[in-house]
Amino acid sequence: MGNLFEHMGIERDRIHFSWISSAEATKFVDVVKEISDKVRALGPNKKLVKDYN
Amino acid sequence: MEFERILSATGPTMGHVTTFPQLPINPKKKKDKLLAEKRKDPKKIAWFQCVGSRDINKCDNPYCSSVCCMYAVKEAIIAKEHAGGDLDCSIFYMDMRTPGKEFEKFYQNAKDKHGVNFIRSRVHSVTENPQTHDLNIRYVDELGQIVHDTYDMIVLSVGLEISNETKELSHKLGIDLTPNGFCKTDSFEPVSSSRDGIYVSGVFNNPKDIPESVLDASAAASAAGDALSAARNTLTKAIEKIPEINVIGERPRIGAFICDCGSNINGVVDCPDVTEYAKTLPYVEFADEAMYACSQDAQAKMVEYIKEKNLNRIVIAACTPKTHEPLFQETLANAGLNKYLFEMTNIRNHNSWVHKNNPEIATQKAKDLVRMAVAKAALAEPLKEEKITVNDSILIIGGGLAGMTSAKSLATQGYKTHIVEKKDKLGGEAHKLYRTAQGEDVQSKLNELIKEIESNDNIIVHNNTTLESVDGFVGNFKSTLKNNDKEFELEYGVAVLATGAKAFVPDEYKYGKDSRIITSLDLDKMFKTNDVDLDRVNSAVFIQCVGSRQPDRPYCSRVCCTHSIDNAIELKERKPDMDIFILYRDIRTYGERELLYKKARELGVIFIRYDVDKKPQVRIDNSQLFIRVNDHVLNKPIEIEADLLTLAVALVPRKDETLANFFKVPLNDEGFFVEKHAKLGPAEFATDGVFVCGSGHYPKPVNEAITQGRASASRALTLLAKKDSLFTSGTVASVDPLKCSQCGVCVSICPYSAPLFLTEGRFEGKADVNAVLCKGCGLCVASCRSGALHLRGFDTNQIFSQIYAMSEVV
Amino acid sequence: MADQDIKIVSFLCNWCSYGAADLAGVSRMEYPADIRVIRIPCSGRMSPKFILSAFREGADAVWVSG
Repeated sequence: MGNLFEHMGIERDRIHFSWISSAEATKFVDVVKEISDKVRALGPNKKLVKDYN
Repeated sequence: MEFERILSATGPTMGHVTTFPQLPINPKKKKDKLLAEKRKDPKKIAWFQCVGSRDINKCDNPYCSSVCCMYAVKEAIIAKEHAGGDLDCSIFYMDMRTPGKEFEKFYQNAKDKHGVNFIRSRVHSVTENPQTHDLNIRYVDELGQIVHDTYDMIVLSVGLEISNETKELSHKLGIDLTPNGFCKTDSFEPVSSSRDGIYVSGVFNNPKDIPESVLDASAAASAAGDALSAARNTLTKAIEKIPEINVIGERPRIGAFICDCGSNINGVVDCPDVTEYAKTLPYVEFADEAMYACSQDAQAKMVEYIKEKNLNRIVIAACTPKTHEPLFQETLANAGLNKYLFEMTNIRNHNSWVHKNNPEIATQKAKDLVRMAVAKAALAEPLKEEKITVNDSILIIGGGLAGMTSAKSLATQGYKTHIVEKKDKLGGEAHKLYRTAQGEDVQSKLNELIKEIESNDNIIVHNNTTLESVDGFVGNFKSTLKNNDKEFELEYGVAVLATGAKAFVPDEYKYGKDSRIITSLDLDKMFKTNDVDLDRVNSAVFIQCVGSRQPDRPYCSRVCCTHSIDNAIELKERKPDMDIFILYRDIRTYGERELLYKKARELGVIFIRYDVDKKPQVRIDNSQLFIRVNDHVLNKPIEIEADLLTLAVALVPRKDETLANFFKVPLNDEGFFVEKHAKLGPAEFATDGVFVCGSGHYPKPVNEAITQGRASASRALTLLAKKDSLFTSGTVASVDPLKCSQCGVCVSICPYSAPLFLTEGRFEGKADVNAVLCKGCGLCVASCRSGALHLRGFDTNQIFSQIYAMSEVV
Repeated sequence: MADQDIKIVSFLCNWCSYGAADLAGVSRMEYPADIRVIRIPCSGRMSPKFILSAFREGADAVWVSG
């Protein structure tokens, strides 16, 4: 999946897959932080966005 | 327990392992200053086992508390995970007792994979180093040498005991206790107290872990149900049903309710602002803020608003749908709305609680979430729940103690019960047992039970019968059975798998080469028949863990330590001057079984420990039988001449893969059935309507097999009792037959075998989803190439609407 | 950059990650407010179409968690 989107111009760090059990709140928070940091580093997404004009 | 709190994410240090975690620290107070000075992240932690258990010097608790070994191992692993790899965790113990299901593997993993140290020892004393505040300990190792070591932190694995209040209560109720304060129960009625009509469960009925406590509770419910079966359904009231309003074709009129949850949400999110915002959203007819949306008066108001404003879709922004969805759905039903015309969004757990320092962002996020929920709700459709008809007869596979107990309880409560037994008589492995750990004679009780079963009008016993096929699902199973080439069919609503386990046939210690080398069950047989050969025995040896706790069979068989010790006591009682040696790895006499271990030592039975890599050697020389073992105290090999060698063999499951496949239930690596939940669902399978009991689940002694038999009956009854109100979920997949291209992907991909091709009618050959089997996971919907599959409640257009709503900035 | 609004569309499985998110709330943990949760019954429900559509609607990232 990641590769396909990369091919389309979406950075790899914009798509995340993870498996978290319902007891792993700490892991959940860690993953959110990790994704958030990575995406903030990339900045807003410009690709594929529907053009309203 | 204190250490559990330290490890917990909600504990005083949020899971960070530290010494002296108490809060708050007031630097001006001398005591707190000292604490702060002493506080540090430990590098070495020690656990001391058997504190307040197996001890009559410092306390009066001669029994084993059963749970502490396992919790110490677990805490050590978690501590290492939290603190990183260099934390040194050591557990000081006498015997490592991990006889529960999957426990032995957990213990071995702690040792091999996590690097927890296990030190067999007796701790003498602990002193604090006044300069470093470290704890110096002195202990005696297995060879009797005194060892000094230093630790930063010591966790005492304290045992369980019965409180004085409980003892007083028991006295008032007039129920008998054991000398240690636990409730006295019979192995054949393990949850009944000495007084009729009073049942017991949990640790009061002997120290035990979570799964056994849960089983006890279910079993007690079954015992109480048996006693009350005559009064069943005499006090029930019918709930009035409110007719459903037809909303199909109507324009959505959404009512949005924003919950303050006291200050839980309102303290962070600007709820009035969100409510005002909700009013501006498309199709929203009405929005209101509620202090506690889940409170009774708020619910009543909601019903009124729905009627007054003619609302036909409801959105609730509050806590989690996982706990509160059913409550709000009931409110909808009370107002005459289909309960699926509802959407809930979580602005508490996912928002106010986790962004409490960013009220503005949290309010914005709440608005986004409400907008997404409203968009989805607009597309909600009323869904139908299919009624499941339940055949209220039961099929029990296996006529051993557990299966018979289950049958007896179900039959007593008025349900037709079939027992399928492949042998020619009921009773199973229990026929081979001499007596229970509490000293009751097994055979007389067993024969009594068999007689009761055979004379019960509600029970039909099929001996010499095997199961040939299983079709159907919960409430509607259909099987072919075979009795001596005669095949017949049986329909039933629920099944209980009670297939049991059997004794392992050993391939070591020269078993089968000499008539003096026997298994524990052979010895029971000699006791039962008063075999004259027993009189000739002057020296007897037992070898434990034969076939258990080794790489090819890594589990502990749970029953063999107690069995051998009890047999050793019997031998000693028959012939007090007999020399008896028990060669063991860890003695696992959990709970009050520990008293037997104590008694055996007092009678002079000699216990010698061996390591798995240094197993005892058996030699037959000149028709004399010798057993050579390394003595753990002398650290020297010794040789014992024996007249009788009893091997405590493993219990092995029947590993019936065909049966497991019939009912779509899993087996673990060793071949035991895997229950729904290791702790909370120990007598049932994840497959609805299929239950488990007895040693097929894990090796267990008589009283535990009976408890689980009762528990499985109790779990089955809760399903059977709901006979007229059992419905499928409305959120299931459905097929649009006009779009279906009959490719079969859904049929092959579904883990629950819900989609099948229709074999008749207008849409013959097209796929159709059985709503009863469908769990609503949506796998087939995502896989359908033709877009013919829809998941009601989570349909593609609904998810898209949420995505679109996310981007709309109003 | 840090104060810029970003949106991460999160598809969470009702039984697993959604429960973890609930628990994170109960435990009063804190994390960035960038995620917008869409509850799905199971990660098997996911389809690439949803991911594409999320980007199309201006998501800065997509997170699927079972």
